[in-house]
Amino acid sequence: MNNGCLENRKKEHDNSQKRPKSYKFGSKSDDFALAIAKVAVAQLCESVGFQGFHLSALETLSDISVRYIYSIGKTANLSANLAGRVEGNVFDIIHGLEDLGSNLGFSGASDVDRCVVSSGVVKDITHFVGVSDFIPFAYDVPGFPVVKESAKTGSFWEKGEDPPGEHIPSWLPAFPDPETYATRLSVENETMGVSNGKKTESELERVERNMDRSLLNLQLRFAHNENKGGSSHGSGYVATESNPYLAAPLHVGEKEVSSVVLPTKLSNEVALRNPVHVDVGNHVSVLETFAPAIEAMKSGLCDSDNVKKKLLYDQRPTVRFKIGIGKKSLGTMSDLNSQNEEDLLKIASWFGNDNEKDDKKRRVEKILKESVESSKE
Amino acid sequence: MNHNRQSNDGKHDDDSALSDFLASLMDYTPTIPDELVEHYLAKSGFQCPDVRLIRLVAVATQKFVAEVANDALQHCKARQAAVVKDKREKQQKDKRLILKMDDLSKSLREYGVNVKQQEYFADSPSTGMDPATRDE
Repeated sequence: MNNGCLENRKKEHDNSQKRPKSYKFGSKSDDFALAIAKVAVAQLCESVGFQGFHLSALETLSDISVRYIYSIGKTANLSANLAGRVEGNVFDIIHGLEDLGSNLGFSGASDVDRCVVSSGVVKDITHFVGVSDFIPFAYDVPGFPVVKESAKTGSFWEKGEDPPGEHIPSWLPAFPDPETYATRLSVENETMGVSNGKKTESELERVERNMDRSLLNLQLRFAHNENKGGSSHGSGYVATESNPYLAAPLHVGEKEVSSVVLPTKLSNEVALRNPVHVDVGNHVSVLETFAPAIEAMKSGLCDSDNVKKKLLYDQRPTVRFKIGIGKKSLGTMSDLNSQNEEDLLKIASWFGNDNEKDDKKRRVEKILKESVESSKE
Repeated sequence: MNHNRQSNDGKHDDDSALSDFLASLMDYTPTIPDELVEHYLAKSGFQCPDVRLIRLVAVATQKFVAEVANDALQHCKARQAAVVKDKREKQQKDKRLILKMDDLSKSLREYGVNVKQQEYFADSPSTGMDPATRDE
């Protein structure tokens, strides 16, 4: 079996097929280090006198050299731990080298009481350093693996806030913004909470953020209202939750939950109170609370002056979903709309057109019913 | 007593030789980069803040690879010399020294590393070869 005469075939074979590697040194995370090792080994082989390699041979040799480093480290670590140390020593490394070199042997290996310092291994290496040429590595190697900065936890200390109350240490995550859980009494008391001045992030991001908060808030509200019996009128913040056992008792005929009636009632109320004149979304349904951003976009399409919405519950504490898009930024919104008009229209159609009011109502009722049932459980 | 004194002096010499050698390592940059060696030493659990030890491991590895490559080179040259006896043309063509798997496996065998490729059967000894290099 003369493999040497089939070198061409082997070359193709090697190039096309990937060899199975062991997990420790062949995993994806190690590719970078292996590539560097390949370059270094190639440079060394070139210095020895080779003019070309087979890829498989180069990979094999670089893999073996990497394992050599690994085994030196492992043996050195073992001898350091045996001596009761955590950090390695030059003697540990020499022990490791002797272990690896014991196969071929080195001068002085058979001496019984020899000092590690005068080991033949070190002498061999010293000789090698004196003899060999200086071949620098071909590339600049960055320090790896790169340590990823962990995401900030948003603690009190990081935000620069004082934790409310001495019992709260400052390294805990900060409380969420009051906007997420604050409730206001009536429409008249409401103001444009978000000033037009401060716009630190793009309007879409803010809208999305508010939407997320609103969703969470809505779910919390459903859970909360089950306890309260639906008799509260939204006075005060959610943070100051009253004792459910001290809540006012239900009057005769009053239901804890009303799901079916709500949408039309709500829409009527909002139509009365809502200062916003919206061309497209004439009725404001509960469904739209789930997508206030889309509503804002829709109304933006129709060039409404004020896109701000406040959605009220009849028998539940008022929930505010503020979409603070001021006049200043309306231009950008319309620009955005003009660019993505088709997309926005598509998105709007997903949430139901005006022509499909019944469908929307049905969906709203279904969602409310599901949430009520889940909270009842 | 004398023996002890001698051994003590010997130890001092060895110590100084070792420390000198480690100091000289800082001037000689090994071909294997420090970051690579650090990465694999860290992987094996070996902790050391001293750069000279990293260099020592790098130089030791370089020596190992150079020795293996040297042995493979000897095998390759030996094979070419054996073939040249038959044909002069081969010498001109195969002037290039190429590191191949079987040369490498022969040289690694002496170091205790068993690199063996799977045997396979072919129709004839010259299957898959270039027509020019095919033996008669």
